[in-house]
Amino acid sequence: MAHFTETEARTIIRGAYAQNVCGSGTVAERLYTPEELEGLPKAPVDMALGVGHPVRHARLRPGDVVLDVGCGAGIDTLLAARLVGPSGHVIGLDMTPAMVERTREHAALAGFGWVEVREGLMEAIPLGGDAVDVVVTNGALSLSTRKSRGLAEMFRVLRPGGRLALADLVVTEALPEDVLRSAPALAA
Amino acid sequence: MLSKKIMNVGFEAVAMEERRPVGLDELAHYPVFPEELVEFLRRAVPASRQAALVWSVTLTALKPSLPEGASHGA
Repeated sequence: MAHFTETEARTIIRGAYAQNVCGSGTVAERLYTPEELEGLPKAPVDMALGVGHPVRHARLRPGDVVLDVGCGAGIDTLLAARLVGPSGHVIGLDMTPAMVERTREHAALAGFGWVEVREGLMEAIPLGGDAVDVVVTNGALSLSTRKSRGLAEMFRVLRPGGRLALADLVVTEALPEDVLRSAPALAA
Repeated sequence: MLSKKIMNVGFEAVAMEERRPVGLDELAHYPVFPEELVEFLRRAVPASRQAALVWSVTLTALKPSLPEGASHGA
């Protein structure tokens, strides 16, 4: 049973991520190698909120077109951009205007002019069909109340033969009811 | 369950690339888990589950290629 409506969930999550969510780089240090982090601007490293490393499994090649769904402050967008190079194109997508702005700033700081950032929902990706070679997403799907719709959109925008690399948190046993009803727990 | 959802929308070759438990102590490093929330979870979640509250999974999947000679709208 859903404890929040789609609108309620989106409002709670947007509110949580619009705040000055800035860590100390601890999350990034757990997920990425020092070599991967080297040369990236400090801010997206400090603000990393991913739960895995989907870019590592995305088999990106120079020239690929990549979509990062729920790009947050942009660390995976930047890592993908580095791998596809200037002959490629990386699109960061986030539903939170503050995160869109941050990823734009971070891509500019990194000098990755082939990064584009769009505001939008994973359940209605603002791209045409068969538009990208690879979709990566890191910790975003679990924030959606319509996960199947989000996945269907990722499928739609991938070209035939394209790859999805998805990292997320899953629960294998039901969480206590108090936790399921908690707005801060939902946002986290 | 997540693999099934991915397959249900049309993906194939779904593969689990990484899977590891994530406990409350690790979640506490995330700024979206403020101290009050972590304390709430420590009270609300049985101690036996706190070392593996959730699982971090990384999956890959492919959108099927078009059959040779086929084109969109064919």
